[in-house]
Amino acid sequence: MLLVALLAVPLIAAGVLTRATGRAATRVHGVAALATAVLALSVAVVVVRETSIDALGGFLRADALSAWMAALVGVVAGLAALEAPQYAGAESRRFYPFFHLFVFTMLLAVTTDDVGFMWVAVEGTTLASVFLVNFERSRASLEASYKYVLICSVGIALAFLGTVLVYFADVTRFGEAEHVLRWTTLRRLAPGLPPSIVEMAFVFLLIGYGTKAGLAPMHTWLPDAHSEAPAPVSAMMSGILLAIGVYAILRFKPIVDLAAGPAFASRLLIGLGLVSMAVAAAFLWSPTNYKRMLAYSSVEHLGIVSLGLGFGGAWGLAGAMLHIANHALAKSVLFLVSGRIRAAYASTDIAAVRGLLARLPVSGPVFLAAMLALMGLPPFGLFVSEVMIFGAGFASGRVVASVIGLVLLLIAFAGTLHALQGMLHGEAAGRGVEARAWLSAPLMAALAVLVLTGVAWPPGLADALAGIAAVIAP
Amino acid sequence: MRELSNFLAVLGLMTTLLMVWRQSRPARLRLLAAQSTVLAAQAVAIAAFTARYSLLLVAVALIVVKAWWIPRALGRMAHGAPHRPVTPGRSAGIRLLIAGALVVLAYVLMLPISLSSSLPTRGGIPLAFAMSLVGLFACVTGRDAVEQILGFLMLENGVFALGLLATYGLPGLVEAGVFLDVLVVVLVAEGLVMQIRQEHATIDVDRLRELRG
Repeated sequence: MLLVALLAVPLIAAGVLTRATGRAATRVHGVAALATAVLALSVAVVVVRETSIDALGGFLRADALSAWMAALVGVVAGLAALEAPQYAGAESRRFYPFFHLFVFTMLLAVTTDDVGFMWVAVEGTTLASVFLVNFERSRASLEASYKYVLICSVGIALAFLGTVLVYFADVTRFGEAEHVLRWTTLRRLAPGLPPSIVEMAFVFLLIGYGTKAGLAPMHTWLPDAHSEAPAPVSAMMSGILLAIGVYAILRFKPIVDLAAGPAFASRLLIGLGLVSMAVAAAFLWSPTNYKRMLAYSSVEHLGIVSLGLGFGGAWGLAGAMLHIANHALAKSVLFLVSGRIRAAYASTDIAAVRGLLARLPVSGPVFLAAMLALMGLPPFGLFVSEVMIFGAGFASGRVVASVIGLVLLLIAFAGTLHALQGMLHGEAAGRGVEARAWLSAPLMAALAVLVLTGVAWPPGLADALAGIAAVIAP
Repeated sequence: MRELSNFLAVLGLMTTLLMVWRQSRPARLRLLAAQSTVLAAQAVAIAAFTARYSLLLVAVALIVVKAWWIPRALGRMAHGAPHRPVTPGRSAGIRLLIAGALVVLAYVLMLPISLSSSLPTRGGIPLAFAMSLVGLFACVTGRDAVEQILGFLMLENGVFALGLLATYGLPGLVEAGVFLDVLVVVLVAEGLVMQIRQEHATIDVDRLRELRG
């Protein structure tokens, strides 16, 4: 029931918002976003207590991993929803319906137990969000949208090929039982699946869903789409949409681990992680546009997540999942503030932004704090999750990969720090127009949560992470 | 059953290779329609021999969506653009050679798959996989938006054929989702390409050069 409600709210809201305009639209949008966030968090709370819940005869199912992702979708979409009215403006009917449809597809992707349907939902996320990327209808956003829809559709077609191969392996070995594509069924049958076919399937799944996750070298759509979309959309795309690509890979990882042994997926994930970090570090050494800087930083952080999943072990998996959440919070705050910076300076060039702290006395410091968090400095949570991930790397004896990763992390750190310094220093040309004060409160709350995951874990967090590790690790 | 399905699979791959060879866009669009019709015939054949009548629905959807509606949409997108690439460029010979190499690669990769299958359609599995590889190749080397989308559809048809030949199609709900997906992708792409044509007066994607770095 809870899961059905969680999906029904954004879907109904999207339908209603195609008709509503003006204040009524803003109100429906706000209520729907709030309700979605509350429902997503309740799912998380219930699942921590009951391990897993299902609905519609098992078609919808939330275990610890699903609940974690659903809660993130709810929270980040809630943060983004607060800023959305300023961007939607008079054209809210071109914005709000797709916003909620986008949220719906993401929630469906993480709560359906059927991996075939998960594929449909993940492709749905692209199709719902492409209209949001192209919201400004400029030449640049048009180009970004075209690349986005083409590259992600091709990627997802390869993921479909992988899904077909998994289905083939299953049906050939065990016959056409009911619900063969249900994840719970796959997981049960996985030890008996032919390793060579499952391995090949996983390669296609990794390329396909890796495209959605923004892992290099399939990341080429990402910097364009994330930098051209309106800030709330960038926040959702960077914060959670990428993580949903990772989620889809994670659903198949235990299957291939059980069928073919854990080394296979591990090596691929570590390799992709390092390539992503290297591509990102090369750009982040001297970025010129702060929205593109944030976008490439997403490639870097998803690379770190992939590395953590590859290293494995309780610390690697828990670290990777915690890193997904930390990154989601920090990056969505940063993208939301980047929209305000753009409004204040009328440019996305780093060189054009000077004296940020004086120009935007509230948003400026929030940006600074979130940047420091993103760069992995204590007391913020990203520091802890990175320590966990690289600790797992050394503990599992992958010293070379860990050292390369740390060096790449350092390069990205130095480049980002330099860019940040440039934005903070210099004379501000007077005070800019700040966003209303209450709009900054949720962003500060998100930063406070980041301090919590960095300093003192709230009760239940360790249990939740252990629950997820139990789902992912065979 | 085996002969018929193998024959149709070969026909499918032939249409893919012809699409790589032909330079004229209207001819390619006709070939896409022909390929989707071949897939529909494949579905009907499997339905008839195995009494899986839900595959008849799939065949109808293939005809309506992929053989009729999508080629027309692609034609609308390219309306007025020259039928052949204006710049004399890569000869079809090298592209065909690469496509041939991909077919060989597909056979090598799919060998364990077709060996482990006991279906009478298993002979076509490497051919279907080759269709998707060649489609992917056509997509990434496409010079204008329509060529790229055409490549994507060739890839999609290949994966679809693979599903049909290796497992007699996926569960109905998923299959429906896939059709919906292709339909919406083409719709969205059509909207974007129309906007690109308004802005740049061409469907040549090399003109899209705003975003770098």
